[in-house]
Amino acid sequence: MVITLDKLSRLMVATGFVAIGFAASPGNAQDTIKIGAPLALTGGLADEGHKQVVVWDMWLAKVNGAGGINVGGKKMKVEIVKYDYQTNGTRAGQLAEKLVTDDKVNFVLAPFGSGHTKIVAAVAERYQVPLLACASSSESVFNQGLKYLFGTLSPNGGVTTAVVKYFKVQVPTLKRVAVLGRDDVFPKSMAQGISEAAKAQGLDVVYDQYYAVGTMDHSASVSAIKAARPDWIYVTGYTQDLILVRKQMADLGVKAPIVSMMTGPAYKEFTDGLGNLANGVTSSNWWHHATTYKGVGVWPSTQDFYKEFVAKNKHDPDYVHASCAAATVVLQDAIERAGTLDKAKVRDALAKTDITTFYGPVKFSPNGMNQERDLPIIQVQDKTIKVLNPPEIKSADFQVMK
Amino acid sequence: MTPTTRYLIFALWVIVLASTPLWAGNYFVRMAITIAMFSALTLSWNLIGGFTGYPSLSTAAFFGLGCYVGALSQRAGVPMILAWVAATVFVAVLAAVFGAIILRLRGHYFAIGSIGLVEVLRLVTSSWGSLTGGGDGLNVPLVQGGPNVVAQTFLAAMVTIMVIVFVVTVLVDRGRLGFGLRCIQQNEDAADMVGVDTTRYKVIAYTLSAMFCGTVGAAYASWTGYIDPTDTFSILMTIKVPVMCLLGGAGTVLGPVVGTGVYMILEEILWANFLDYNRAILGAVTVLLILFLPGGLLRISYKTVLAQLAARFNRLGAAA
Amino acid sequence: MQYLQVLANGIVLGALYACLAVGFSLVWGVLNVINMLHGSFIILGGYLTFFAWQNFGIHPLLALPFVAAILYGIGYVTQLLVINRVVSQPVLTTLTLTFGLDLILYNYMTVFYTATPRRVTLDLGHVELGGIFMPVDRLFGMVLALALTGMLYVLLRGSRIGRAIVAVRMDGAAAALMGIRINRIYAITFGIGALMAGAAGAIFSMVFPITSNLTGDFLGKAFVVCVIGGLGSVPGALVGGLALGIIESFAGQFFGPQHALTVGFLLMLVLLVVKPTGLTGIKGYE
Repeated sequence: MVITLDKLSRLMVATGFVAIGFAASPGNAQDTIKIGAPLALTGGLADEGHKQVVVWDMWLAKVNGAGGINVGGKKMKVEIVKYDYQTNGTRAGQLAEKLVTDDKVNFVLAPFGSGHTKIVAAVAERYQVPLLACASSSESVFNQGLKYLFGTLSPNGGVTTAVVKYFKVQVPTLKRVAVLGRDDVFPKSMAQGISEAAKAQGLDVVYDQYYAVGTMDHSASVSAIKAARPDWIYVTGYTQDLILVRKQMADLGVKAPIVSMMTGPAYKEFTDGLGNLANGVTSSNWWHHATTYKGVGVWPSTQDFYKEFVAKNKHDPDYVHASCAAATVVLQDAIERAGTLDKAKVRDALAKTDITTFYGPVKFSPNGMNQERDLPIIQVQDKTIKVLNPPEIKSADFQVMK
Repeated sequence: MTPTTRYLIFALWVIVLASTPLWAGNYFVRMAITIAMFSALTLSWNLIGGFTGYPSLSTAAFFGLGCYVGALSQRAGVPMILAWVAATVFVAVLAAVFGAIILRLRGHYFAIGSIGLVEVLRLVTSSWGSLTGGGDGLNVPLVQGGPNVVAQTFLAAMVTIMVIVFVVTVLVDRGRLGFGLRCIQQNEDAADMVGVDTTRYKVIAYTLSAMFCGTVGAAYASWTGYIDPTDTFSILMTIKVPVMCLLGGAGTVLGPVVGTGVYMILEEILWANFLDYNRAILGAVTVLLILFLPGGLLRISYKTVLAQLAARFNRLGAAA
Repeated sequence: MQYLQVLANGIVLGALYACLAVGFSLVWGVLNVINMLHGSFIILGGYLTFFAWQNFGIHPLLALPFVAAILYGIGYVTQLLVINRVVSQPVLTTLTLTFGLDLILYNYMTVFYTATPRRVTLDLGHVELGGIFMPVDRLFGMVLALALTGMLYVLLRGSRIGRAIVAVRMDGAAAALMGIRINRIYAITFGIGALMAGAAGAIFSMVFPITSNLTGDFLGKAFVVCVIGGLGSVPGALVGGLALGIIESFAGQFFGPQHALTVGFLLMLVLLVVKPTGLTGIKGYE
């Protein structure tokens, strides 16, 4: 093969253009509001990362369809700059810094999960860029004294106490609890929380163990739980872990009146992956589409969000979808109230947030977390999700597992 | 390439990396920090993997260990730099002990043993919650000061570590140790027979290759402010480091630095521009490199390539 | 009683481990290649089985031979066109090459199948023997592991191809001189390795949630099993799998689930140093 001069020069021109393309980020600085989003699109949290993309794109279409966000009387279009951080903490920090310093985003949306939110939060704090976290509920993320971090989920603590109370009423004979948790930030804190709440309310915790990340078999724990004869089995982990645990419980003939999994049943893929085995499993949830909130933002009511989501995606939204969509609604509200894109002013506006959205009330505590509220307790009945509590949105009674 | 040219190229590269705060934003500074960090890791790996020819896959084990020793020391109130030194010493001692055991293995067996160490350390760190925070991870006191101060501090730190490892590499390369290691790489049994103390040489090489990973790890922990077992003891990292070294040319002095630079910049471009397919493209590039550049970038005879190109241009000129 | 159950858990788990390691071990033994693609091959087999079941209602056990055949084809072509070019290079080169290929396959699966965990929700139930529970799908895994190992044994001893594979393993250069087309034998061997991964994946689609997130975990297990049983020995994979399953099961019982994995890996490291040929003591492929 002989490279002709012509071909060579064309190649060089092309390379030059590519290089310029890489160097110059799409310019004209402040006609659009830029929001940065480091996302896990591959790796362990790929599924969750894609959920965030779905709702943010929905929000973006709505906001820009209406002309943009009103910033002090001027409508500005919004752009979300996304990168895949591959479920890798180092990468998450690096991309957060890229978003802030290279893409010059005005605000950042945190990725899924508590651990990576921490890493991104450290960068956002350093550059004093408001960061909205929609999928981390562990207090350990918010107790670092960070001023620019706001989270739409409410603390784990409230969830655990309420659940124990509820089941004590439903099953008066409830005495023995077995807890099995994944040794990871969020699932571990939930397992710890339940075990403490159960002890505080006079229950016996008869099994209390964690399994390592990467565990592919739970027969040892499940057999030990069987021997402990619990009335209530409480398991935390990622959906893939929980499907496996539930399957192995059936395989090994383990039964209990109450089986709860965090956050398994809140996700559609849990029921899909288990079929009939999902029936009877309970969970607590940060949001359910049966709620009927009315409020500010591009979705005036829960129903509006729900309908649009189902029309687009052909399945029900879960709390990650809702919480992440709500994060953008909250951000929009804060920008409009601040009337500027100034980061410190928007940060102050965020701190003063006191609104109701389709997702429910949002008001941040001093540490930046959304305040506690009554969270739904759900149960899978006949392969669909029923709400047991709170009474206003209840759609079924609790059924004891047989 | 003469040694002087090599050193000159390296010195230029150090200047480029170290001067990023002067001519680029903090994102580029962060890239420079990351490149320096990985260069230190590949240079380290090169001592055992390149010179000695032992397919070590334990980089992440020593990196992760460094992270935790550094973080725990800092949390106990040890000043940052001292914590890094402590991590280096600790990792060196551990690597010497572990090396003495595992270096009796060869080929696949050694590769597996060394990667097994990463997994064991990850699991131990993860389940030893009372000390390491387990799956919750550890917060490390953040360095005070604005983003520019932080970026410059860690740029200086990582570049310094990189330079130190480079100097060690040069010393090893020119010294008796390097000669011995190359003998082992060529034919270990023969080296043993002609009087090279193979065990001692290998353990020294392995320890040298581990200890600076510990320093880098500790510095990384101070930089990022939060570490957890899955990110620090990462199998992906343990494989990426040899890949970068092979790309540049294993067993050469400059190869690891070239390989890391090329790989990281390539990766950065892919990440920034291909949201969904960045891994596949990286995979394709790796495959092509192995198939078409098995000796690494430095082993290409550039003179031949240039001569051929020149010949072509001449022909074109003659035709015109 | 409790211990019998723990033992039974260990045996059926061990059978699954053996299933996932047999193909990996064969490739390692004959080609001297650490195949980083192996975990993804298993998951690919799982995905194919799942989609056959979801879209056409084909039972996984029925889909198994077809999935295995498809994987054989993929493996054969990969080896023939790509890996053969560097197959005689040092460990690290082939390892890096298959690692690169794995990135491509992984990315493909994540984009086209998504990482959502999926499972064939056919629960085959369990058998109960005097209070000891054995899940039926895992028993199938056990049958498969035994069958694959047995078939491979017969194939290698009894057929021309098999004897050629053994000959190449023992002395590639001599085999080439005897007129064996080495590249073809390599491709067939790699194909068989992939076939076994596909078959394991078909069974696993009923047992595990199938997601591309698990590829690394499966690969890691294959490593441990092969070291425990003896590198590159197919019967070793069976022994190693069972041993690891039983050890993890008892470790989970005595030290808690948090430490079960650690015990398995520690055992691997100790065996590597003390007895690198593994429990079976067979060196290389026999």
